[in-house]
Amino acid sequence: MNSKIRLLKLVKILCFLPLLAGLSGTVIAQHQISGTVTEAITGEALPGVSVIIQGTARGTATELDGTYSLTAPSGDVTLLFSYIGFENQQIEVQGRNVIDVQMEQASIMGEDVLVVGYGIQRAEDVTSSIISVPASEFRVSAPKDAASLIKGRVAGLNIQEPSGNPTDGTQIKLRGTTTLTGSSSPLVLIDGIPGGLNSVAPENIESITVLKDGSAAAIYGSRGTNGVILITTKGYEGQTRPTITYQGFMDYQQIVNTPDMFTADEYRDVINNQGAPFTDFGESTDWIESVLREPVSQNHSLTYSGGNSQTNYSANLNYRDQQGIFLRSDSEDLRTRVSLNHSIREDLVQVNLNLNYRIQEFFNGSRDDGSFNNSVWRQAVIRNPTDQVRNEQGGWQERPGFGYSNPLGLLNAVEGDTENREFKFDGSVTFNPLTNLSITAVGSTTRFNSLRGYAESFEHRTTTVDGLNGWASRNEDTEVDNLFELTANFSQNIDAHSVQLLGGYSWQEVVFEGFNAFNQNFPTDLFSYNNLGLGVDLQEGLAGMGSYKNSYKLIGFFSRLNYDYDGRYLLMGSMRYEGNSRFGADNEWGLFPAVSAGWRISSESFMEDFDFINELKLRAGFGVTGIAPNESYLSLTSYDYSGFFFNQGEWVQGIEPARNPNPDLKWERKDEINLGLDFELFERVRGNIDVYRRDTKDLLFEISVPVPPFVFPDLLANDGELRNEGIEVALDVDAYQSENINWTSSVVYSTNRNELISLGEGSLRSEQDFIYAGGLGESVQLPTHRIDVGGKVGNFYGYKAVDIDEDGNWIIENAEGERKGWFDIEPDDRQVIGNGLPDHNISWRNSVNYKNFDLSILLRGAFGFQILNETSLFYSNPTQQDFNLLSDAFDPIFGKEVLNNEWAYVDYYLEDGDFVKIDDVTLGYNLSSLPYGISNLRVYLSGQNLHTFTGYSGLDPEVSIGGLNPGHDFRDRYPTTRRFTLGVNVTF
Amino acid sequence: MKKIRFLFIVISTLTLTMLVSSCTDLTEEPFSEITEENFNPTSEDIPRLLAPAYTNLRWYMACCYDYVSMQEGAGDSYITPSRPNGWGGPYLPYHWHEWTPTHLHVNVGWDNWINGINAANRVLYQVQNLIEVEPDVLAGLVAEIRALRAFNYYNLLDNYGSVPIVTDFLDESLPTQSSRQEVFNFVETELLESIPDLTETVDQSTYGRMHKWAAMTLLARLYLNAEVYTGTERWDDVIEYTDRVIDSGIFELEPDYRNNFVQSNQNSSEIIFVIPYDEVFAGGNTMHMRTLAPEQQQSFRMSAQPWGGSAATPQSIETYDDEDTRLDDTWSGGPQRNPAGDVVIDFTKSIPEMGATQFRHGFRVNKYEIYEGMTASSDVDYPVFRYSLVLMMKAEALLRTNRPGDAATLVSEVRERAFSETDPSKATVSAAELQEGSAFNYGNIDPATFDEENDTIGYVDVQGGADVVYGRFLDELLWEFTNEGFRRNDMIRFQTTSGQSVYTAKRWFEKTPSESCREVFPIPQSAIDDNPNLAQVDNCFD
Repeated sequence: MNSKIRLLKLVKILCFLPLLAGLSGTVIAQHQISGTVTEAITGEALPGVSVIIQGTARGTATELDGTYSLTAPSGDVTLLFSYIGFENQQIEVQGRNVIDVQMEQASIMGEDVLVVGYGIQRAEDVTSSIISVPASEFRVSAPKDAASLIKGRVAGLNIQEPSGNPTDGTQIKLRGTTTLTGSSSPLVLIDGIPGGLNSVAPENIESITVLKDGSAAAIYGSRGTNGVILITTKGYEGQTRPTITYQGFMDYQQIVNTPDMFTADEYRDVINNQGAPFTDFGESTDWIESVLREPVSQNHSLTYSGGNSQTNYSANLNYRDQQGIFLRSDSEDLRTRVSLNHSIREDLVQVNLNLNYRIQEFFNGSRDDGSFNNSVWRQAVIRNPTDQVRNEQGGWQERPGFGYSNPLGLLNAVEGDTENREFKFDGSVTFNPLTNLSITAVGSTTRFNSLRGYAESFEHRTTTVDGLNGWASRNEDTEVDNLFELTANFSQNIDAHSVQLLGGYSWQEVVFEGFNAFNQNFPTDLFSYNNLGLGVDLQEGLAGMGSYKNSYKLIGFFSRLNYDYDGRYLLMGSMRYEGNSRFGADNEWGLFPAVSAGWRISSESFMEDFDFINELKLRAGFGVTGIAPNESYLSLTSYDYSGFFFNQGEWVQGIEPARNPNPDLKWERKDEINLGLDFELFERVRGNIDVYRRDTKDLLFEISVPVPPFVFPDLLANDGELRNEGIEVALDVDAYQSENINWTSSVVYSTNRNELISLGEGSLRSEQDFIYAGGLGESVQLPTHRIDVGGKVGNFYGYKAVDIDEDGNWIIENAEGERKGWFDIEPDDRQVIGNGLPDHNISWRNSVNYKNFDLSILLRGAFGFQILNETSLFYSNPTQQDFNLLSDAFDPIFGKEVLNNEWAYVDYYLEDGDFVKIDDVTLGYNLSSLPYGISNLRVYLSGQNLHTFTGYSGLDPEVSIGGLNPGHDFRDRYPTTRRFTLGVNVTF
Repeated sequence: MKKIRFLFIVISTLTLTMLVSSCTDLTEEPFSEITEENFNPTSEDIPRLLAPAYTNLRWYMACCYDYVSMQEGAGDSYITPSRPNGWGGPYLPYHWHEWTPTHLHVNVGWDNWINGINAANRVLYQVQNLIEVEPDVLAGLVAEIRALRAFNYYNLLDNYGSVPIVTDFLDESLPTQSSRQEVFNFVETELLESIPDLTETVDQSTYGRMHKWAAMTLLARLYLNAEVYTGTERWDDVIEYTDRVIDSGIFELEPDYRNNFVQSNQNSSEIIFVIPYDEVFAGGNTMHMRTLAPEQQQSFRMSAQPWGGSAATPQSIETYDDEDTRLDDTWSGGPQRNPAGDVVIDFTKSIPEMGATQFRHGFRVNKYEIYEGMTASSDVDYPVFRYSLVLMMKAEALLRTNRPGDAATLVSEVRERAFSETDPSKATVSAAELQEGSAFNYGNIDPATFDEENDTIGYVDVQGGADVVYGRFLDELLWEFTNEGFRRNDMIRFQTTSGQSVYTAKRWFEKTPSESCREVFPIPQSAIDDNPNLAQVDNCFD
């Protein structure tokens, strides 16, 4: 539903609370009042302002020209004028018949009101850690998704963009790693309805609110552990003239960095001078250059809105065409949103309907069914620079070698397309029987569908080398998400006591299903994937097909009580009783309570002498959230069909258990304590400080179990405890203000520390007191990370290289300080050699307005972490003879010997990742009241990821921080880009 | 009072919601699994329930944790050195005898055989308790499952020594370890008890199944190695059970050795127990992928590029008689051509080292037919027991019980086809010859002497094979059975005059003498971590 509507309603409720007690049922009406409401500064008429007779439910709203008229029971009443974003005004009528009112914009910076779970709250009443970022503070340049907009704006919410692929989104981590196997993505609610960070076009977003701590998120139960991101879309209410807004930008990208591989001449040089056993094919090809481009992307957004006090509407169309830095890498996106609000009988019933439709289409370049085939990048990096692109017959030059292909063949000899469609229809009905009671029913259905096709032509190596005569596949996945929620909000004020009550029920069902097929050996490659049945390998039994369907249900009952005494003492208590079908029958339901309290010290009488303290609030909260497993049916004993068995001359499928069932599977539970302080000093320094501790208990984790008695060696069980602690500081300073200049500066800092407290305390005791994670492929075969009990998530675990012997083999040192040659090492000689999670994240945003110009600069940095430079590990190793290598491959290690060791996971390839980035610089120019009906025009130029100050030798130190193997800079990572954007916003 | 009325409405609405059961119903709905309620197997389902106990054996030739690499790679005739594409790394410890309890490639046997035992116990429980089966059918079925389970236990016994014995599918307690002697007794008893009820039929209906003759061959194999396992020799029992297989008259040596390893080797009359593979239905035989060089993809118009890989030790090639056609039927060396006749790669016999080699170094395994148009999965079935094995087991038992003449007759019989097209006179081996030492030039390679042009490499620390007791017989086993997964086992059974096993005492290629505790693999660390009742017993890690 459109929370703006609810928000408006609740503001009204809040304003009326003191008088509800005197509510009277009988009225003898007889006093006419009329007037005009205008904006205090501009003098413009304000339509849609609510005018209510205080103490009654009666009132009206101003017309298009700001006028109103109503009949009061007598001339001795008080009128209350309220309008969102403006200060309320109470005016005693004192027998007058004409009352004109000038409304003043609300003085508190940012939001007076915050969107919280299932409702809104005045910012000053909030007792949890909730941060809201309004559209005016969004990063503007070419956002990947909604999270991009608030990158570096919310302390403790780490948003990374480790990939330059236009189809990849951001990577989000809130307050550390709190789960081992559960999902780590936050709950995203778009006006209260679950969605994705990409479901709504950024131009359509009014504000983004992050519920950080457990006490705020607990109302969402099991979905709240990774934080909740509430996206409020732009709402249009009240009387507005039809408005058209156009927002558009073009951007240009460059690859930030390329690995420094041998050129053809250098390659020949090492053959001749170093005796490297490489092959010189006699050509000179810059393979990296051959797959790259400098792409231009565009984005257009058109919004049409209007309405009157009863009905208003908006329609938005957003088109985005993005080109990636690699040839063929792209993403084309069309998003539409139509929204309709209608109010019946003076807001007694409010109806809201929204229709969202999104089509995204992009190149599908590999059998993995992703978007761009990252192995094109790998092959371009490692391809022998002396080789030719095409062979004598004009085909792509292929060579033997394991995992060695012509990148241009992989890129060009394929056809592929992914089409994602997301259709969402949602609506709400709010019934306001009393000014202090509203009942809302919300329903939504979301259908996400992905249809993919991929085909390898006869030019592809599958035909030229493998003789398959083409390969083609079709894949389809559908997710249907249905939601129904019923909530009731009630509020009451008695003297200095103010109470808000919320109760509700939530029902959600998610169904996944899909179909896939592939075939090969086609008579022609003309049809790509459009005639799969033609392939002869269907008859040969070598084609494949499959389908699946699974589902889960989530049901919750929730309630919340907010109590406020005299604006000084604030208390919140909430409870969610939630059930998830994915658990064992006895453990389906979990209880997720939360409590928080606030003390507005600045409102105390003893603070009157401290004039410079405008606001001082102490907060404390505790909340419990849960995590459910990512898969369904884990608690069930069931059987699957398995491999074929030769029986009596026929092949029959076997039947075997599907899994080790765990009927005791229960909620992973996160307890979080949060202490916070909000302040405003000298009317120019605002900020908040939060300290938290989150303990995740009954960790969902694939424990290793003995076989027999178990059938499989792994069992998903609740086992272990993980702790995260941290501090977050956010500071906003009005640094300088004068008539023409307005300079604000804000700093956001967070630090996090985590520890695996225990593993294997459950009944299924495992002796193992650590978990391996991550891994290096090829022959290295070692996990990259290990989390020990008492240790940290993100710890790299490998060999510590201290020297190199005369044969060019590593000499390592184990934890006991014992030095060993490479051929004497044992697995136990590995140790913790670094950590991939930054200890400190900091960002600093400055924005300056000078007359019509505005400039904002965002610097962002992360400190105290290491990166595993996989590119260096694999390509700086001269024992690899089939590949091109980094140009430092023959440099002596430790200044002593050229490496002659097989690929090895040693800490030589771990580097400090500390960096500071000039992440975003935007210069804008605003004009208003222009000809041709243009009311506002803004032009801006923006640069993103402009420069990185770092000692890291890889491509970009902003690497993945997700999962249990953070800090691993994969060699196949789609490289990051530098981006320049030119944009324009016009309002008619 | 309106207010209260509305509150009442709200509360009743919420209460009603809670009461309507569909609003709190969290029953899971699986769409593509057989749930417990739907699982009502009948006797017609028996093949499906039995299937996992057999299909579990498919790892024997699978990529990349396979039985053959494990058994042959630790022996003297087969190595998987590092290739330029990175292939080879994890296999090096097999050759050097330097594995650890965390080395996945030596854990794989444990995991798979235990899985096979689990599957057997499960189907045993199912046919005995869940399904109505005719009593006579049931007896045969139970015998088959027990014999198949004994096959898994035999291999655990051979490879890991002291292992836990679990026979009850419903037993949820943590298994406890049994001694090697106890496991030996268990396997022996299980086989002796099942043999009477096993079918004697050998045709398509028992292809790939544990019939009476397969169980007897297994039992003979158990007795053949009894001294290694228990310290007590059982040669007479070897003779008894090999005789019973021989006397059945069902099996005979194929006139052409290759018939046992061709694409359609299901027609071989020599195969006693087999793991069926099929390109379409039963993928997983990747022997050709592991051994062939990537360039050979063109030679055979394969739809997958081989990884590159496993090769013969130069010393094992040097043991072959020039006229023995099994050399060419087992290994391919020299120039390899594509269909147009162009040389795509020229294999040298010599290999410079384990750590870094070129694709062209080393003769490749062509024992299992490499046919045109292969995919990554081969159609060739893996013969676990062949009739020639039965003959050779009997011959060995005769030889070791002072009947070398009878042994020589049998060995000559097996050799006959290997020389029938070259020099038939060479097929005959004498009693005296069988008692000679080994022709294998045990010793380490000297990389410095590697001469690619002349395809030679020299040796250092040369031990030779003269001191191998019945060394010639061990050589016969190499020529007949290399790459069939017996080499490790045979080399442990055969000893030098100093009483150490050939397997540990001898040097070959880069392998230096290893401790006798290397004769069994360690129990996987993960299994010990998960089950505190388990410990390393009598191996290098106890």
